Amino acid sequence: MSIVAAAPTDYTAPGVEEFWQPLIGDGAWAITRPIFLMLLSTGLIIWWLTATTKKRALVPSRGQMGTEAVYGLVRNGVAKDLIGSHEFMKFVPLLFSMFVLILVNNLFGVIPPMSYPTMSRIGFPIALALIVWIVFHVVGMKKHGFVGYWKSLVPAGLPKGMIVPIFILELITDLFTRPVTLALRLFGNMFAGHILMALFISGGWYMLTSGGVLIVAGGVTWVFAFVMTLFELLVEFLQAYVFTLLAALYIAGAVADEH
Amino acid sequence: MDGNIAILGYGLSAIGPGIGVGLIFAAYINGVARQPEARGMLQPIAFLGMAITEALAIFGIALAFVFRG
Amino acid sequence: MQAVTVTAEGGEGGFWATAAPIIPHPLEFFFGLACFAILYFVVAKKVVPRLEQIYAERTAAIEGGMNKAEEAQAQAQAALEQYQAQLVEARAEASRIREDAKAQGAQIIAEMREHAAAEAARITETAHKQIEAERQQAVVALRNDVGRISTDLAGRIVGESLREETRQKDIVERFLAELESGDVVREKVGER
Repeated sequence: MSIVAAAPTDYTAPGVEEFWQPLIGDGAWAITRPIFLMLLSTGLIIWWLTATTKKRALVPSRGQMGTEAVYGLVRNGVAKDLIGSHEFMKFVPLLFSMFVLILVNNLFGVIPPMSYPTMSRIGFPIALALIVWIVFHVVGMKKHGFVGYWKSLVPAGLPKGMIVPIFILELITDLFTRPVTLALRLFGNMFAGHILMALFISGGWYMLTSGGVLIVAGGVTWVFAFVMTLFELLVEFLQAYVFTLLAALYIAGAVADEH
Repeated sequence: MDGNIAILGYGLSAIGPGIGVGLIFAAYINGVARQPEARGMLQPIAFLGMAITEALAIFGIALAFVFRG
Repeated sequence: MQAVTVTAEGGEGGFWATAAPIIPHPLEFFFGLACFAILYFVVAKKVVPRLEQIYAERTAAIEGGMNKAEEAQAQAQAALEQYQAQLVEARAEASRIREDAKAQGAQIIAEMREHAAAEAARITETAHKQIEAERQQAVVALRNDVGRISTDLAGRIVGESLREETRQKDIVERFLAELESGDVVREKVGER
């Protein structure tokens, strides 16, 4: 603590305020930086996807190959494997657009001009989780009927006394835990990752500029910040994948013949 | 020392899920190592288990922010 | 626990600057929905059908290529079989021709031999005939000469001309006939 005491003590760690960056207006209806990034990412994705699939070449160009690789991952690796080859085609557009939207917005967290993971603002993950929540319930009810769907929550062949508690547990999972954790997982990972990186970089900068022994510590911190950035890259991809995977899993559970 | 006791609570709430997620993926890796062809079947189970286990940690971080002040 | 303190409350940002990060900003929530809706619309209407079409076309192309390859293989197989059949046929043809030639050769040789034999026979016969003819001629000539000489001789001995044609001829003829039959009877000239 003596080392820190030697330095000026005006350092404040990055906090929640870092994420509030209104561009136009203020308050609840302000156009904020993440909104702008969200629009930018949507535009970029639409441009990229339409441009690379325009030619429909059998022997793909490099861009088309990239698009096809991502599409193949979602289509075959997630949707087909989990939902089954009967009904998965209905959900491929949903899962694919969800995956690319989350992925690009997550990657904005480490790409310099943006440097802001859109999904660290909980409004966006909640919107996406809400869509998934509505979709898997509606699909399940379409498949089993309104009563049949709720009945299918309880596995068949349970002893009489177990039916009610299991039903309540499943109901809580279905209605509450699943969507909330889906949104919070994405938000939490992006928020924590970004705040950690901000902490490493700003703390490192603070130590570098305060001189003395702290310069070495600052250097080490910045090396760690770089390592953290690589780790963030992995987490960003993984979270997009996990979100899509879980969305597919919930849909698969809803359309499955036996729950 | 300046800070928030809620973040300590979050730290505590992350212990259990941390162990749980570790166990799940240990079992998953074991299973895939023994039977590589079962990968496709084990993967969704592993991720679903992770999602349920991790939910507790996520509730922890949410509640840490709710009760921070 | 004195550590339970509140971090900077208020400040210039107002409520949203320091609000708990799990409180969704309404406009961000709305834009999240809207952007996803737009993206979903484009992906579902354009991108996925295109990609599926590429998938289908590629599968078709690969299958078509495989079919083509199979067809080519079948064709090659057929050609090979045809070639082999032709080869077998040609071999059979060749052996047949050889057989034929052999047979024909044998026939020719036989014919030639026959022909040669016939020729030889003919030549021999001709020679025989000629010899016979010559012999006849010689016989006739001899007969004449012998008749004349003997009559001459006899004439000289007897002293009279025996040259009267008819008698002379008769005598010679008879003599020669007796000579040929083997019983020569001595007789006196002019006894008849």
